[in-house]
Amino acid sequence: MLVLSRQRDESIIIGDNVVITVVDVRGDKVKLGIDAPKEISVHRREVYEAIQRENRQAALLKPDDARLLDPGPGSTKSE
Amino acid sequence: MAVKEGVGRPMDIITTRFGTLSVQSQDELLFEQGLIGLEDCRRWIVLTDSKNPSLGWLQSIEQGHIALGVVSPRRFVPDYQLRVDRDALSPLELSTLRDAEVAVIASRNSTGLTLNLRAPLVINVEKRRGCQVVAKDAHPIQFALNTPTVALKKTA
Repeated sequence: MLVLSRQRDESIIIGDNVVITVVDVRGDKVKLGIDAPKEISVHRREVYEAIQRENRQAALLKPDDARLLDPGPGSTKSE
Repeated sequence: MAVKEGVGRPMDIITTRFGTLSVQSQDELLFEQGLIGLEDCRRWIVLTDSKNPSLGWLQSIEQGHIALGVVSPRRFVPDYQLRVDRDALSPLELSTLRDAEVAVIASRNSTGLTLNLRAPLVINVEKRRGCQVVAKDAHPIQFALNTPTVALKKTA
């Protein structure tokens, strides 16, 4: 992993079109600004990885497991 | 190989849950970037569950063993609101947000069935395109449903 030190308002550029700027530093928390083309998604890593795991787990669901799915009485029809 | 394809003709796909299915190209949904963690699965079809009209199945065309149970979120979570970055929807080429349909993926954990409200699927039905987005709000990735406490059948 490349490790760089940056102060507030300093930036790094990844490739030629992703720029990460340190917007604020307060105690333990660093606020980052990200400039990237809209085709490149940016997510907090732990959220992204949790969703990856969840998708892969969900891909194992069988029809019998899902039969118990029930919106319950009084649910509205889809809008 | 799960797919046999004929030009301009329906193609057969072999699936583990639903057997062999005949698919027309106009039934396909394209997820240009796949799904998060399933980036290679870009072509899908939607099936309705034969026993439960609330439930759809997104069946992968490329991987016959991969299918996702999907539901309309408001049917289960009436006040569900989805906020996303506008750029996240650009692969869908939506002319209007009204062409967008939102579905959430069902899964199962040790306590029962759950819905992923954090990373729903957004579909442009007219253009047959979809994408998975991450909500700006911290919705649960495993929203527990009130499924009966009867023990779920163990899977093989």
